[in-house]
Amino acid sequence: MSDEIIQLETPFQFNEENMKKVDELIGRYPIKEAAMLPTLHLAQKQAGYISPAVMKHVADLLEVTVMKVKDVVTFYPMFFEEPVGEYVIRVCQTLPCALRDCKVVLDHLKEKLGIDVASETNLAKGTTEDGKYTLMKVECLASCDVAPVIMINDDLHKNLTPEKVDEILNNL
Amino acid sequence: MVQQKRILYEHLDVPNINTFDVYRQHDGYKRFEKAIAEYQPDDVSKMVMDSGLKGRGGAGFSTGLKWSFVPKDIEPRYLCCNADESEPGTFSNRYVLEKNPHLLIEGILICCYAMGIETTYVYIRGEFTLGKKMLDAALEEAYEQGYLGENIKDSGINVNIYSHPGAGAYICGEETGLIESLEGKRGQPRNKPPFPAVEGVFMKPTVVQNVETLCNLPFIVDKGVEWYTEMGPIYGDARFDPPKPDPNTGTKLYCISGDVNEPGVYELELGLTCSELIEVAGGLRGEEVKAVIPGGSSAPILTHYELDTRLDFTSLTLAKSMLGSGGIIVMNETRNIVDCLLNIMKFYAHESCGQCTPCRWGTPWVRDIVQRIADGEGRQEKITRPKFGIAEGGRWGDTGETEEIYEDLDLLESVANNIANVDTMTWNTICVFGIAVSWPAVSYMRKFRPEFEATIREGKLTTLSVEEATVPPEENYAFQQRIIPKEMSELG
Repeated sequence: MSDEIIQLETPFQFNEENMKKVDELIGRYPIKEAAMLPTLHLAQKQAGYISPAVMKHVADLLEVTVMKVKDVVTFYPMFFEEPVGEYVIRVCQTLPCALRDCKVVLDHLKEKLGIDVASETNLAKGTTEDGKYTLMKVECLASCDVAPVIMINDDLHKNLTPEKVDEILNNL
Repeated sequence: MVQQKRILYEHLDVPNINTFDVYRQHDGYKRFEKAIAEYQPDDVSKMVMDSGLKGRGGAGFSTGLKWSFVPKDIEPRYLCCNADESEPGTFSNRYVLEKNPHLLIEGILICCYAMGIETTYVYIRGEFTLGKKMLDAALEEAYEQGYLGENIKDSGINVNIYSHPGAGAYICGEETGLIESLEGKRGQPRNKPPFPAVEGVFMKPTVVQNVETLCNLPFIVDKGVEWYTEMGPIYGDARFDPPKPDPNTGTKLYCISGDVNEPGVYELELGLTCSELIEVAGGLRGEEVKAVIPGGSSAPILTHYELDTRLDFTSLTLAKSMLGSGGIIVMNETRNIVDCLLNIMKFYAHESCGQCTPCRWGTPWVRDIVQRIADGEGRQEKITRPKFGIAEGGRWGDTGETEEIYEDLDLLESVANNIANVDTMTWNTICVFGIAVSWPAVSYMRKFRPEFEATIREGKLTTLSVEEATVPPEENYAFQQRIIPKEMSELG
């Protein structure tokens, strides 16, 4: 992907605070490229998702090609290439949660929010129209003793029932 | 009843143990100070080798042996701490990171001292936001207190520790996948050799250790090898004369979940049986145990006939399963094994990194077959065909006999066996992810074949009683080939 053909719809630049953090991150590794994942996490936090403009900016900072950044972004499920809701709800679906009825929790969320579950290639179908919530499945969240669990942005919620889910959503 | 033996988790529930001051009050960093004051680096390595500590991340490889492969003349060397805990059913590292991160830092310091390492990366799972926050705060405190950085406590040792977040890929828990990911690339595992000990991150010698393994080090240094080897069984490997000691020493953080009354992490000496562990975890929720997964979802399943299997590295390997990361998932009589397998296969189809063809195509294929069976559309035709197995000369092939099979079950086994073969213990992929998919798939299918057949026959998910669903021990492939290991003391 050469620079000319990238559609830079919304330009992206790290803000001053994050720029400092990126400089510090790059200093931790013998090669700049190794700071890729933490830098992308920072960028996603600032921009909401990894747009082509973000990839271009990160590529310039780490002195790699844009294609290389895209290569990484498409591999990891935590990076979004499309806009997502303000609250990203990740519902654990793996066996220990399944044995504790996570399906009830997922169905309840689907019904309450009136959306389907987002897939990695189609985030829009799992996002509410007002852009508030995105609902997605996730693989084991390593909290099987307090199953079923969901993660809303950075917070883990344990031992869920439909009633508890209602309460959590009301308190957001 | 077997009692918990809390060593790593001893101070886990002490309020504010995550802060330096409280950790210091509970002997914090004193074990590291003891290591640098009383022992030479080589002494520490020797202690770890003699303790018989095996890696707790999954493979169960001897930690001391791994360290001995690291060339001492190549600089710099690196330590990567594997905190990418993503194996379904495992959750012990999360608690260490969230509640007692200083213990991990102390373990890392001791490893760095023994190996002469100056830089450590803690590869921490992307979803562990709280764990990363707690670890970062602890690292900051340790720098302030002079336990990290240049010339630690005037000993001339320099150690820097950095936390590095992953981004949700299961395969980055594989050591070479982790290294690739750390270098800022897709987390696709490398071919071995060269092993990471020789050529790892940034093409330099690298030690990759799990959180739990590193947390064992302060206690081995503090209380000594003798104390450590008293915990857990030491088996004798009878292939050698005299039998070679095969240590399964120390405690293990067993994570138990599923159908038990009190799921959680229990720290126990290695070597207790499966039924003992269920008892420790408050007993079964339900009437009868139908199946137990002994080591995270990658481990082949155990039937109710196999509950006397001891949960340690050697016993489970000889029972054709594995201890893996110590995530035990219990299923009671109401569970349908086809449904459980479908759940696990969906996980693996999603997490295959796509590097090797057998795995990239095989995992979704296996998932689709199980989905078809679970949907009641499993192919019913019974056909007679030549039986494949271990033929003359020990190779996989036509045995000259014939057998009757359900088409879909045969297809399932054939696809799975071509990713990694259960009978010949070989695999056609770069990393062991292939094993993690196919060995469980085949074990579920073979050990609970009546339930699979009933589901195909009835055209809908059919749950049989425990007795009916399980193949009897004399037909269970793993049971037939199972070897009960003998402890050194029994061998005389």
